[in-house]
This record gives sequence, C-alpha cells and structure tokens, in this order.
Amino acid sequence: MDRQGTIYTMIFSFIVTFAFVFLLSLTNQATVGMVKLNQETTRQGAILAAMGIAHAGPQEVLEKFKSIRTEQKGGVTLYTTTRNGETIYAAEFAGSGLWSTIRGVVGVNSDVTRILGLEIISQGETPGLGGRIDEQWFKDQFTDEKVVNGQIQVDMHNAGAPDTSHDNGQVDGITGATITSTSVGRIVNDELETLRSILGGKS
Amino acid sequence: MSEAKSVTVLRENVWTSNPIFMQVLGICSALAVTNLLINTVIMTLGVTLVTGFSSLTVSLLKKLIPRKVRMIIQTLIIAFYVIIVDLVLRAYMPDVSKNLGPYVGLIITNCIIMGRAEAFAQSNGPFISFWDGITSGLGYMGVLLLVAVVRELLGFGTLLGYQIMPPTFLPWTIMVMAPSAFFILAIIIWIGKSIQMRQGKGATA
Repeated sequence: MDRQGTIYTMIFSFIVTFAFVFLLSLTNQATVGMVKLNQETTRQGAILAAMGIAHAGPQEVLEKFKSIRTEQKGGVTLYTTTRNGETIYAAEFAGSGLWSTIRGVVGVNSDVTRILGLEIISQGETPGLGGRIDEQWFKDQFTDEKVVNGQIQVDMHNAGAPDTSHDNGQVDGITGATITSTSVGRIVNDELETLRSILGGKS
Repeated sequence: MSEAKSVTVLRENVWTSNPIFMQVLGICSALAVTNLLINTVIMTLGVTLVTGFSSLTVSLLKKLIPRKVRMIIQTLIIAFYVIIVDLVLRAYMPDVSKNLGPYVGLIITNCIIMGRAEAFAQSNGPFISFWDGITSGLGYMGVLLLVAVVRELLGFGTLLGYQIMPPTFLPWTIMVMAPSAFFILAIIIWIGKSIQMRQGKGATA
C-alpha cells in the first residue's frame, strides 16, 4: 500500500490515535481510584488542619475525620466539632485568584471573631509566586488570627517578614503576588461574612 | 548503538549543542519554573523522561508514519507521555503534582522534545534516539538547575527550602519574577559560548 496515500494516512492516523488513547484510558482507569483517594484525604486533611486538629498521614486523617460532624445550613456545608468546650466550625470556600479558582477551608470559632486556621485545597496560581499561598508560613499567619471589624487585612506594603501578631487582624501578603494575596483576603472575608450570617444567631 | 556515537551524542546534547544555551530552545519553561529548585528538579526530570520515550517511540514508528501527518503524530506521542507523567504524579506524588500545577501539562509545548523527535529520532535507530532524548533532557536539566540555584538562593535565601543565607539577607524580589531568568540565562549563554570559543581557538591554533 502507498505509504503517502490518503487512505493509508487515514487508517494509520486512526489506528495510532486509537491505540494511544486506549492506553491512556487504561492508565487513567488504573490510577483514578488513587487520585480520588488523594483528593479526598487532601480535602479532609485541610478541614482538620483549618480547625487546628493535628494529623499525620492519610490513615490518621481518615480516622480523625470521623469525629467531625457535617451539617447543612444556609446552603453551606458546615463542619463542626467541639474543642475545649467550644463549638468550632469550618467551611469550604472557593473564589478566583489571578489565574485560577482558589479552593480551601477556613476554620472559625463559634461567634466568628477568630479564624482558627486556613488551608488551601487547590489552586493554580503562578508557582513560586501566587502558588506560595499554600506555604506553611503564609497559612500560619491565619492561625488564631483575630477578626477585626469583621474582616482581615492583607498587607502588601510590609514586604519580607510574615505578620506574627495574631491580634491585629492583619496578614502579610506575598511579594510579587499582590493579586493572589489580596484575592485570598477577599475570598476569606466573603466567607467570614457568609459564616457570620449563618452562625450569627448562635453567639 | 556504538559506544563512540553515544559519547558524541552525549557531548553534543549536554555541551556543544546544548538545547538551551546553544540552540536556545525550550526557554519558555526555563523562565517559568526556575524560581524554586524542587519544582525545577521534578519538571526537568519529567521533560527528560518524556523526551527519551517520545524519541524512542517516534524512532520505532518512523517507517510507518506518512509524511503528511508526521508532526501531528509526533505531537500525539509527546502528549501521550506527558499525560502519563501527569497521572503518575497525581496518583503517587500528590504534593509535587499540587506544586507544579499546570506546568506538567505544558511539557507538551516544550520545543526540545519535538525538536529531537524531528531532527534525530526520524532518521536514527530506536536505542540511540532514546539516548539522544535522555541526554538532551540532561542538557536542559543542567542549565535549568543552574538558573534555579541562583534564583532560589538570591530570591528566597534558600536552597530546596532550607535557609542558606544569613537571616539579615534581604531577598532580591526580581529573582522571584520571570525577568531575572532572562538575565541569568543570558549570562550563562555568554559564559558557555566564551568557553566554547576559547576551546575552538585552541583546537585550530
């Protein structure tokens, strides 16, 4: 058969494409369970971390997550548990950053006056710049941070050291990633607003 | 595959016609992923493996591929390996996959891979093509690691996340941003070319 002819070209292209796509589907099938499990442990781990519950390894995450209660309220899935006699909450949030949708979890105390923790589940911001919102030092700034005037401020002027005070309602942004940093602030503040409106009556 | 030929291929791909600083190919990713060493290591490993295996596959299929659809078939083969790398990272190294985000998928657009498939694997045997792909990847890796070391050290004061610079060190913000890779890459090209020209002179004299 003529190797440069139209018929051969079509048949060849079809077979090659079919073969490669078939192999890809097989690989996808083989890994899909694992990828799903990874995503689920990441999500549950994030919820635990946002509530300040320490955990190590996927096994422990699945184990400790059993103590978390889930309730639907005002269209939001709330995760609750009791810590030192106080009911604490966590909720997943999503909002747009510079390039991507930033998904994460924020944990709050019963009257939304303090953020207990912040975790990022997924983001596609610039690696090394906006992508650093997932670094521990950045997230640690939100741990036990006081909510001042109903919100937190992302400071972009004080480049360098992270904000160590947990009572000023301020966190330090990431140098070179102004839009991502302020987006995180905006998304978290929106989520605090929502949580306040849901939990407001309880306090 | 003769030993002499494989040594020549190695020397050419890593040094005398290094894809980055002699052919200036694939520099888009050289700018994007080099501000943290760990991302660079994983990314360049991915590129090296994909280049090797795509060259191998192209070389195996080269007699069967009609000329008209040659490029599109090469792209298909490259995309196939990139998706495999992406799936493996997602399943077995979720943290790394999370860090690299969209960049793994962008390996497809790396011109070195297609360049080697087109320039070498189309006209050489499978084993030497595989070796050519791997060494091209190594040449790419070497330069990118060099850029990444400079950028992470000056931009964050760390290497692989460990603090290297004294606490009083003020990080150079420019090093974190893409433009710094241009400067560093240009300096590397300058140094590399100067050394090669000096060697060239020595040989003819």
